[in-house]
Amino acid sequence: MIPRLSFALCWVMLSLALLFLFTPIVIVVAVSFTESAVFSFPPQGFSLKWYYSIRNADGLLASAWLSAQVAFISTLISLVLGTLCAIAVVRRMVPGGDVIATFMASPLMIPGLVLGIAFLQAARLVGLNDAYTTLLVAHVVLTMPFIMRTVLASLSMFDFSMVDAARMLGCSYPRALWRVLVPNILPGVMSGALFAFIASFDNYPISIFLVDVHTKTLPIQLLNQLEMSPDPTVAATSALLILATVLALIVCDRLVGLKRMTTI
Amino acid sequence: MTTIEMRTQAEAQPRRRFFQLDTPAIMVLPGIVFMVVAFAIPVLILVADSFRDAGGFSIGGYRKVLGDPYYIGIIWNSLQLGLITTIGSLLIGYPAAFALSRAPARLQVLLFALIFLPLTVSIIVKTFGLAIMMRRDGILNWLLLNVGFIDRPMRLVFTEFALYFGMINVFLPLMILPIYSVMRQLDPRLTDAAASLGAGPVTTFRRVTLPLTMPGVVAGISLVFSISVAAYVTPGLLIGDRFMTMSQVMAKAYLNIRDFNLGASMAVVMLVIAVTIVFTSTYFAEPASRRGRKG
Amino acid sequence: MNLVATEAARERAASANKRYLDVAAVTKRFGTATVLQDLNISVARSEFISLLGPSGCGKTTLLRLIAGLMKPDGGRIAINGSDLTQVPAHKRNIGVVFQNYALFPHLTVEQNVAFGLEAQRTPKAEIGARVQNALALVRMQAFAERRISALSGGQQQRVAVARALVVKPSLLLLDEPFSALDRKLRETMQIELRHLLRDLEITSIFVTHDQDEALVMSDRIAVMNEGRIEQLGTPDEVYSAPASLHVLEFVGQSTRIGGTADASALNGTASVETPLGKILAPLHDGSGVSGKVVLGVRPECIALGERPDANFNEISAELTDIVFFGSKTALHFQPPGADDRIQVEVARVPSGIAQGVALKLYWPISETMVYPAP
Ligand SMILES: Nc1ncnc2c1ncn2[C@@H]1O[C@H](COP(=O)(O)OP(=O)(O)OP(=O)(O)O)[C@@H](O)[C@H]1O
Ligand SMILES: [Mg+2]
Repeated sequence: MIPRLSFALCWVMLSLALLFLFTPIVIVVAVSFTESAVFSFPPQGFSLKWYYSIRNADGLLASAWLSAQVAFISTLISLVLGTLCAIAVVRRMVPGGDVIATFMASPLMIPGLVLGIAFLQAARLVGLNDAYTTLLVAHVVLTMPFIMRTVLASLSMFDFSMVDAARMLGCSYPRALWRVLVPNILPGVMSGALFAFIASFDNYPISIFLVDVHTKTLPIQLLNQLEMSPDPTVAATSALLILATVLALIVCDRLVGLKRMTTI
Repeated sequence: MTTIEMRTQAEAQPRRRFFQLDTPAIMVLPGIVFMVVAFAIPVLILVADSFRDAGGFSIGGYRKVLGDPYYIGIIWNSLQLGLITTIGSLLIGYPAAFALSRAPARLQVLLFALIFLPLTVSIIVKTFGLAIMMRRDGILNWLLLNVGFIDRPMRLVFTEFALYFGMINVFLPLMILPIYSVMRQLDPRLTDAAASLGAGPVTTFRRVTLPLTMPGVVAGISLVFSISVAAYVTPGLLIGDRFMTMSQVMAKAYLNIRDFNLGASMAVVMLVIAVTIVFTSTYFAEPASRRGRKG
Repeated sequence: MNLVATEAARERAASANKRYLDVAAVTKRFGTATVLQDLNISVARSEFISLLGPSGCGKTTLLRLIAGLMKPDGGRIAINGSDLTQVPAHKRNIGVVFQNYALFPHLTVEQNVAFGLEAQRTPKAEIGARVQNALALVRMQAFAERRISALSGGQQQRVAVARALVVKPSLLLLDEPFSALDRKLRETMQIELRHLLRDLEITSIFVTHDQDEALVMSDRIAVMNEGRIEQLGTPDEVYSAPASLHVLEFVGQSTRIGGTADASALNGTASVETPLGKILAPLHDGSGVSGKVVLGVRPECIALGERPDANFNEISAELTDIVFFGSKTALHFQPPGADDRIQVEVARVPSGIAQGVALKLYWPISETMVYPAP
């Protein structure tokens, strides 16, 4: 009796949790289709006008473009630097591999605001005024732990004698890495890159210290908009963001399998 | 097949290889140098800044942050925010993770994806949705009115209720996922074995399930606590200046009042809290994590 | 016991291609540790050689040097007279079967086998036929489309062999290929692989630390210890005339008795004073031994009872254990003052013997081996 009941309670809790988690997301999407300029629930009427108004809204598109650039480039840089590092650590090519791995992954345990302030001060000290460069550097630091952790995890499951096997079958070292190492660690690396991209694209606490009037990332622009002129344009933008996220997850699921992606 | 020709002699001349992988330094140095310059040094500068004001060495910032009742109250606010968010998430997350881990395989994948998806949605977007939800004419009031709990709409936004409601909403998946990943590996035969030995359901839970899932719980607690204690966006949007946290003070110190010494000291205090959480939780999670896994 | 007639092996060894693979004075160091020291070994064409030795003696290292996956610190490796030292691994055309198979999990069985052919840019039309052919050799055609993860250990093993053979390697290296298989399967695979390689006339080096495997499969066995080759010979030679105490200990069962040799060797026979009494042993190459020595006897040479004449050594010892093996029974004796127990193999346990009784044992002097004590 007691186990049945508590088991049922667990299911109720899970259902409520899912409902709870999805309500705000669904509401944002719903509001983006309303006709009235004030957010209200239940939504009134149906229109796409807030989607059209994204184009005219001050800086939304520009900041989305900036965020995408920063997220893409910083993820790419982390991917290159982090993967090389991770290979050397896993293959024990360098002493102190554990220390290196922990160090490269440690920005994750430092509060974003603290990191942001640290970047701000350092950039001031060396006279780095260019917001774009500062953002990029900061976001490489931000994305590095995601890459490091997933690449390390994939590499530690990779059997390097496969590379030797490929070499003995006639592949040069780089080609062996390309033909054998890459396809085997790609799923893990991809999921790491996806998380890194999302973390960067969505970052507020670090970026807030580094942006300037002309260089604003999307989260900052969104929050500004919310404070200045709260109309459903923000909801429409958010709905598009949600759509993009879902699409990215579906693509990754097709390529990699969500299950494999999230076990790491 | 006896005459296997050797295709080797022709290409025997030594050639400088462009791709020389036995030079590990080239592989690790760019990453390490970058992280030292762009991460370690800035953090160290920040720590140094906290001991310095316009007139040179000073612990004025710390005296203020750790001595002034106002700032102590703020630190306490942050800890309270982290604590309540963590406890709330745990109370919902543990049973939810349990149900998730016992779901049939195909359903489990779907449910897992559903828990996972909100994590990938921007925090600002979610908080925005939460704010709409809790408006006077929002869905929460509408629900409470219709169920009959209240007879006229309540003010929810900018209350502590809104804050914790929102915080738990945003960080709940971070509690469920680590607990789930441990529970999934938990061998159901263990609980069966306990039951077959005559242990009642309560005893089985207390003596078998709970201890074995502790690593996940510890991981979830430390994750949610360390992130929510430093949260900035969600509290800012849902309660604003009515509930000042360390994050709020830090941001204000740098962006508005330009008291860098104060901001840096506060940042270092927060850094210490975050690092302490990480280290204590790894300490607690390590030895336990090696027990009770499926082969 | 040996699958291959010793006669045929000798013949093959004597042929012109005696030095098909030639490893000369190869040295390998890791940091300060010297793993291989001036190692020499020559393998004849289409010979099957086992490398036998304890863990950590450098077997894998030697294979990796031959394969080109590592560079030696000194010495020369040549196949068919051409020096390989400057040839990178992927151009050596050497097949390797790895201990864990190292199959590619992202490819199917077929794609795994085709991998080497594709890497060597074999024409597409030819690849299909050769892959089918190779899979047929190891009887895996039915599994061509399978994923590697859906194969059993023995099947993976076969795919690994097919993958290494399909490129027609000039040399095949196998690093403990059976260590992950259970005993029964291992015995089947040993025979199968040996037949396959003999039919294809592939020159092979086979690493194992299972002495039975080496004895069963090899044309010749190289017994390694601490980075050197202690003996290279046919299974028969290695078993019945071990070149060193280490070889004696490592290959087959033996009883070892410590003692002190008399300085004067009488007409090619050493007289050794042991706790069990005086034991005689023949000296082969006329080299005298003196001082501390170790005597060795194989269990099948020892018989129960009194010695018939003076051509035998005789001792007496207490029977401590009777161990039944099915086809044979081992009797364990604990001689006074010796730490090593003596093992005797009999087909039937003679009536009237029981644990605790002291019995007389004898064996031919000619079957007694003597080595300087370490
Ligand atoms: N990359 C390396 N770096 C340092 N030492 C190594 C390396 N590879 C092997 N060694 C050392 O060289 C010695 C020989 O190793 P090797 O792998 O050749 O032994 P093995 O005979 O194959 O043993 P096993 O039977 O256990 O496989 C060992 O002591 C090992 O520790
Ligand atoms: Mg080995």
